[in-house]
Amino acid sequence: MEAAPAHQVEAALAIDDSIQAIPVGRIAIWWFLASEIMVFGGLIACFVLFRLAHGGWDAEAAHVHWQIGAFNTLVLLTSSYTMAMACTAAKADDAARLRICLLLTVLLGLTFLGVKAHEYSLEAAKGLTPWSGLFWAFYYTLTGLHSVHVLAGIVVNFFLWIAARRSSLWPMIQRRIEYAGLYWHFVDVVWIFLFPLVYLS
Amino acid sequence: MSQAAALKETGYAGHGEALGFWRKYVFSIDHKTIAKQYLGISLFMALVGAYTAYAIRWQLAWPLTRIPGVGAISPDAYNSLVTMHGTIMVFFVAMPLLLGAFGNFCIPLMVGAADMAFPRLNMLSVWTFFTGGLVLLASLFVPGGAAAAGWTSYAPLSANPAYTTAVLGQDMWIVALALEFASFLMGGVNFLTTALNVRAPGMSLWRMPLLVWYEITASALFLLSVGPLIGGAVMLLLDRVLGTGFYLPAKGGDPLLWEHLFWFFGHPEVYVVALPGFGIMLEILPVFSRKPVFAYRALIYCALTATALSLIVWAHHMFVSGMDPRLATPFSVTTILISVPFAIMVFAMIATLWGGSMTFETPMLFALGGLASFLLGGVTGIFLGSAATDIYLHGTYFVVAHFHYTLFPVTFFAGFAGLYYWYPKMFGRMMNERLGKLHFWLTFFGFQAVFIPLFLVGVAGTPRRVFMPVGYPLFSALQPLQVFATVAAIVLIAAQAAFVANFFLSLKYGKQAQRNPWRANTLEWSTDSPPPHENFPAPPQVRRWPYEYSTPGARRDWMPQDEAAEAATVRAAS
Amino acid sequence: MIESMHDSPAAVRTLDLHIWEWLLALLAAGLVVFVLPIPKIVALALVFGAALIKAVLVVRNYMHLKAEHPLLYVIALFPVLLFIVMAIALLPDIAWKR
Repeated sequence: MEAAPAHQVEAALAIDDSIQAIPVGRIAIWWFLASEIMVFGGLIACFVLFRLAHGGWDAEAAHVHWQIGAFNTLVLLTSSYTMAMACTAAKADDAARLRICLLLTVLLGLTFLGVKAHEYSLEAAKGLTPWSGLFWAFYYTLTGLHSVHVLAGIVVNFFLWIAARRSSLWPMIQRRIEYAGLYWHFVDVVWIFLFPLVYLS
Repeated sequence: MSQAAALKETGYAGHGEALGFWRKYVFSIDHKTIAKQYLGISLFMALVGAYTAYAIRWQLAWPLTRIPGVGAISPDAYNSLVTMHGTIMVFFVAMPLLLGAFGNFCIPLMVGAADMAFPRLNMLSVWTFFTGGLVLLASLFVPGGAAAAGWTSYAPLSANPAYTTAVLGQDMWIVALALEFASFLMGGVNFLTTALNVRAPGMSLWRMPLLVWYEITASALFLLSVGPLIGGAVMLLLDRVLGTGFYLPAKGGDPLLWEHLFWFFGHPEVYVVALPGFGIMLEILPVFSRKPVFAYRALIYCALTATALSLIVWAHHMFVSGMDPRLATPFSVTTILISVPFAIMVFAMIATLWGGSMTFETPMLFALGGLASFLLGGVTGIFLGSAATDIYLHGTYFVVAHFHYTLFPVTFFAGFAGLYYWYPKMFGRMMNERLGKLHFWLTFFGFQAVFIPLFLVGVAGTPRRVFMPVGYPLFSALQPLQVFATVAAIVLIAAQAAFVANFFLSLKYGKQAQRNPWRANTLEWSTDSPPPHENFPAPPQVRRWPYEYSTPGARRDWMPQDEAAEAATVRAAS
Repeated sequence: MIESMHDSPAAVRTLDLHIWEWLLALLAAGLVVFVLPIPKIVALALVFGAALIKAVLVVRNYMHLKAEHPLLYVIALFPVLLFIVMAIALLPDIAWKR
């Protein structure tokens, strides 16, 4: 399929950065994150409210594995660091460094999910299932929804990592790694609050 | 990414003719085609919604008879009908028509862009929406039937599968809504980004047409309010499927939480559809009175204020729910307050008309009819917003009449106004004026005739969502009003045939439309009808605000936004 | 906390590293507070305070919000305020009813 003549495509396009020189991708991601803040915020608010209503759920909360949670927090914080390094590498035009950092991010994300799955199995074996009580219903819903978001981030990062091997796609990677990074950091920020909420309260 | 890059990456061939049938009409990334897809789905769903309305109204007028074209219905089936009517009309007619169709079609054209910021995301959004619609319609045919817990789906009726026969239907309802939410989240991001970042040179925010402002405000409102309900819907599904107890008192849950989460979104949702409806009216009224819109900036501030306020009024739906009575006063106060920006909008519309040279083509008739009807509906909302009167009126037909008197004007009056107005631009043909006027008068009077009686029936205490209110001797004296409303409803629904006929016949036999049949200023009228794939041959250079009508000393009574400035006679743009 | 104004990749990498170090330090501090025998309210306040600082560090530095247009701040912060308002409005009904 032949592309439209370049001058016609350029002439037909109308991009005005006068109000703010923010790339469209960045504005779009932040609006998306705003809606995600409301999703997680709403669920977290419900959890906090129910917890207050039911006297704190200290007995139930004693069964969470805070050491595993802490380890997972370490993993996710480090993955944020590697993701930030990947973004910096993209700006510095360093494809090799980006690929290493992106791969580390993916591996750390997979580690997080693997540890979480193991943790779920430990809890399920003790009969602590989503239907065994409201604390556990919230626990599984909150961490489950978060894990789904982590998985989505891993998939995106993985595809970017694959694409980064082709130099023809490098400009696209440079643009998009920033957006993937914003999403990934957001997922990390959610966990930064989920961890004390679920494990340290 | 830039539009240039997006177009290049999708291998766009430049003129559309080179694309095959599937890429051009089905899996299109062109915002105009996507808008028409949303339009088609919404109009089809409107027919389904009208069918449910017909069945409901027949049952209310002539209970326990066989409904022609439907059959005999049971109380459970009645509940399903009521549920599906509300769900379809709000989520699968109003949203796709006002946001999906008009937002997608008008925003890029009005800001002078070649397409949305993210054309492929746009396509994903319409296909997600279509899938949601399919899931909802499929739920009508599964064992147990469609969801029957009301469009509000209150717990524990909706949370405990043992309480209803529509087990699978309720699950599918949740999934359909989730898909619809995802679709409009994607669309909302697209609208906001396009309007903020992809405007033509010279199109400052204060030169954007009001429809664009109102569409993006509605999109932002949707984005901000739907989140807690998404969490809530996940919890509802888990209650049903996994046996968690978020909303089930027996398991320590709280049904009231669902009401809060639902209405936290549900109330802003009605403004999400009302704002674009108002935006459409605000585009049409100046054009057909040849006068600038009155108080342009105030109208924008009102939209923003109404948006912010709408996020803190939700519990006025819950005055009798058993919630903490101390919440009643603050929410009454905010609810009464929100009538202020809307009143200003209505006054601004009237002031726009005042002293204008009005002509009454079909778009103008529908805009005026919508304004008048919404005014009545809005005023009746005051009784419901104040806790004291709401305690009596909650759950009666007064509420039903109120929300139909607000939602129907913004969805259908404004929607039809927009369709008759932009049809020439969308399809390159003019619609038939006489059929249009017939459609308007039948719809306008038919609508009043259905819902005025319902106000009366409601004030007398008739409860809504009840299979057979006439079964209570208390309400038997009101039955003539119910019958009158049903006859009017049948006339109203039948009258839409005029529109359907006009729509399809004009496609083939309508007069060829010129670029600017309405002599309007906004940018979409500067290009061909219908516009080429890239909308404009060159990016328009915007020189003024959109409402330069009847400027003293000007050559003509309209001045397109991108027309070169005339010497010394152009009134200073805002 | 080092706020580097240089755009050089090396400087940014150093900043990234320092932020990570602070994040780990705050995590460790939170865990220490958790295991200490101090009143629960105090422990919670400290732990959530640490979480807030961690989040601010990530958002301002890794997500570059420090250098961004105010509009993005508004887009990011408004929903936070909104769900807090929602939670407060729900307190009487959901949290205090029992």
